[in-house]
Amino acid sequence: MSKGVIVFARNNSNIDYVKQAFYLAKKVKQHLGLPTSIITDNVDYLKKTYNENVFDKIIEIDYDHKKNLRNFFDGALSSKSDNFKNSSRSSAYDLTPYDETLLLDSDFIISNDLFLNCFRSNHDLLLYKDSYDLSGTRNTKEFEFISDSGCEFYWATCVFFRKNETNKMFFNLIKHIQEEWHHYRRVYQIQSLLFRNDFAFSIAIHILNGFKKGNFAAQMPGKLTYITDQDILWNIDKEKMLFLVAKKDYIGEYHAISTKNLNVHVMNKFSLSRVIDKELVNEQ
Amino acid sequence: MDERLKKALDFSNYMVTLNNQKRVLEEKYNQELLYYHNGSQFTVTRELINFCYTLLSTGNTEVVLVDDNKLPVQVIDLEEFHSNVLDVYFTASNSYYNEFVELKQKRTVEKLVDANE
Repeated sequence: MSKGVIVFARNNSNIDYVKQAFYLAKKVKQHLGLPTSIITDNVDYLKKTYNENVFDKIIEIDYDHKKNLRNFFDGALSSKSDNFKNSSRSSAYDLTPYDETLLLDSDFIISNDLFLNCFRSNHDLLLYKDSYDLSGTRNTKEFEFISDSGCEFYWATCVFFRKNETNKMFFNLIKHIQEEWHHYRRVYQIQSLLFRNDFAFSIAIHILNGFKKGNFAAQMPGKLTYITDQDILWNIDKEKMLFLVAKKDYIGEYHAISTKNLNVHVMNKFSLSRVIDKELVNEQ
Repeated sequence: MDERLKKALDFSNYMVTLNNQKRVLEEKYNQELLYYHNGSQFTVTRELINFCYTLLSTGNTEVVLVDDNKLPVQVIDLEEFHSNVLDVYFTASNSYYNEFVELKQKRTVEKLVDANE
């Protein structure tokens, strides 16, 4: 059974997801000892800019011209609107070259070997339901349910799956939800027009659980630790990370928090990019 | 600013950071308490350790346990399982304790978060 990590990287005019994927692949190799394949529509840029040998396979997908605008924050006081190319994740099952796949967001920092437990699990589909906001002060309801009257929230940030008929059906259902997004958005009373993979995955799990809570998908190991894009990743020193998390009710003010040997989903892509630049320079 | 207020605000900032770091340590501890047996995930708790000990004390060598995903798992070698969960518990708890002691000794915000810059 082949094992590996896949990561989607589709650049927009402000964010270099390929750079994030490059950094992630190095971290994956260091902590998990697994190969990483990149799925991207920026193959030429990747080959010109980064050492492609970091990746096991480079899988090219078509460039997507569709507009899907959202705001990307860089801390509490700065944001840019840009295209959010998140439409190909439902094809992960078809695109992965592995029998056992760990699908990760490119803005995920691996600092330990916790995810190796996924490959030891009896369950063929694992996602995070439980998460942990590093700030500890924010209302996390939006990460518990997809809407006030909707189903439980599952993160599409980290997904482990084995190739089998059930998981094929799962990913096909996500494709269908994506195609009929505005119908499902209304059924589940999601106010935002923006397509989000987290929502599509959550809805698919809800449907396959018989429209109720269930164990169609088991939990990934531990909880998903994250900072939002209102927070800032300040520094990475090996397995230590230093963050500035937004103070509650004091816009533009931050508290410092550090982590060691903890995997963290860094939603502030601009600060992640700055830190990766620093890391890559230090390596040279 | 009044010196008394300034000192109080500095201390308040220190306490917030200390409590945040304690939460991060606790979260790490919870992750380190995970134990995988035959593909099933168990969070090692004092209850699990004591339950296994009780079963062993009453002559049981095999047991069906319910894992973190609420699914039943057959444990064929209960003694080995018990020994492994104890090991996970001690390793995680000792690490938690050592890091906690180290944290408590840090008297400034910069030291609490190991900020070198």
